Amino acid sequence: MAKKVAIVGVGMQKFEFRKEETVEEMIFDVTRNALENCHLSKEDIEAVVYGSAVDAFCGIHNSDKVAIDASGGMLRPTMRNSTSGSTAISTPILGYTHVASGLYNLVMVICFEKMSENAAAQAVFNTVYDEAFVRPIGLNVPIQCGLEARAYLHRYGLTERQMAKVSVKNRGNALSNPYAQLPMKLTVDDVLSSPYLAWPVKRLDTAPVTDGARAVVLASEDVAKELTDDPVWIKGVGRGADSVWFMGRRNYDLGRLDYAYLAAKQAYDMAGIQNPMTEIDYAEVYDPFTYKEMQHCEALGLCPEGGAGRMIDEGISFKEGALPVNASGGLQGEGNPIGAGMSRLCWCYLQIKREAGACHVPKDVNTAVTNGWGGMYQYNAVMVIGRD
Amino acid sequence: MAKKEKEPGITINGVIQISYNWTVGKAGGRFFNELKENKKIMGTRCRQCGRVLVPPRIFCEECFVENMEWVEVEPKGTLTTFGESYISTDGKRLKEPWMLGIVKLNRSDGGLIHFIGEARPEDLKIGMPMEIVFKDKREGNIMDILYFRPAKK
Repeated sequence: MAKKVAIVGVGMQKFEFRKEETVEEMIFDVTRNALENCHLSKEDIEAVVYGSAVDAFCGIHNSDKVAIDASGGMLRPTMRNSTSGSTAISTPILGYTHVASGLYNLVMVICFEKMSENAAAQAVFNTVYDEAFVRPIGLNVPIQCGLEARAYLHRYGLTERQMAKVSVKNRGNALSNPYAQLPMKLTVDDVLSSPYLAWPVKRLDTAPVTDGARAVVLASEDVAKELTDDPVWIKGVGRGADSVWFMGRRNYDLGRLDYAYLAAKQAYDMAGIQNPMTEIDYAEVYDPFTYKEMQHCEALGLCPEGGAGRMIDEGISFKEGALPVNASGGLQGEGNPIGAGMSRLCWCYLQIKREAGACHVPKDVNTAVTNGWGGMYQYNAVMVIGRD
Repeated sequence: MAKKEKEPGITINGVIQISYNWTVGKAGGRFFNELKENKKIMGTRCRQCGRVLVPPRIFCEECFVENMEWVEVEPKGTLTTFGESYISTDGKRLKEPWMLGIVKLNRSDGGLIHFIGEARPEDLKIGMPMEIVFKDKREGNIMDILYFRPAKK
């Protein structure tokens, strides 16, 4: 039986296209911030978990070893996790299992990515594909996602205009986020007239390349209750993976993320949530491209399947809407340092704790959901957090 | 107080260059050999569930058995989605898009991803029939396929 696990602090820093700090310096920054946030010292931390998606970005393979000194990991048990973009949420899930198993009482979770060190991020992405059947075609992330986005819009009858509204919302929300890389006041026409990367995905549908790190401190029930009168619990976790051979999956349709529905169901079953549309107060969903926010809102049950267009049209996901999504700006507005997309979880925590500053939504948040996505349209990791 | 001065960013420039020698495996070996020698697209059929896998594999991931037989599939199929990209693989902006598509091949449960040729984006529709155009001089790799094009009657 899994033991209860709480989030007791987060470590934040500004996301930027190019940070002048090294990976080690970035991690020291968020680790210290997280320890201050929960009034702990590095001696209190019993184990450290790292998440980073693609080492070739920073050009240092097994880059977790660089993170040890700066995260309080010296002479501690440490472990690195990597599940492409879903590293952002699968890493805190790995941290969760460290504490839920009863092995550790206090665990530091560090996620980082330094994407600006290489000369061409798209050329790095091109090294993630199968060499015999896929990579020679020259696949890169924009066209990979163009293939998926077209299948998705086709399947559910959704539009580029609805995608554009997500960009306007998220980049606008980022204006209130002091850590954001790309806050922008945009109109739908600005997004629609930005150049295509791969139809229907345009420049302003796409999250930027980013340097950054995040930290989360996890505690067992007894320790959490010593540290705070108002613990935020991890209530449900779920993960799903699908075949790397995306050309012939069981459902023949890249538009429907079977593996994400699976991950959400696990997390909601564990959290005892039957109707996410009414029981979830707030969501930070993984939005490296605008249509990904729409797909993930559907897979997470925040709107009916195929209903993400209506959700944005009616303003349900706006900051002041009935079910706000990415009031921090999401990856679109805050930046997209792949593994450090764990920031989505940090913002769920900050909303619940009423520490979200100008990003705060105008309602009480007791239960929030977040997810991460990655691979060959392959992985999803979902976490539900909240008060008792 | 004077504004805190930002240290100038010193960088160390370098290149990591590594050559690879990728094996294509047991299934890939037969696939690329048939493609090169006979202009054939081969799949593997699971004798237990009957699914035909393209790209071929030596095992069925559903039944989890290694009980497969080789079958030829049609070099034709259905366009399940397609992309038109205005960015080159190394991130440069292009005036004319390059196009690729995923085609589910007839008489199989799988498909291939490749370029699309002899068509403009406006000629294409999800669900339309496509066919493979082969290269004349083939070398035993995925580029022995030139591209998919809309199927000719």
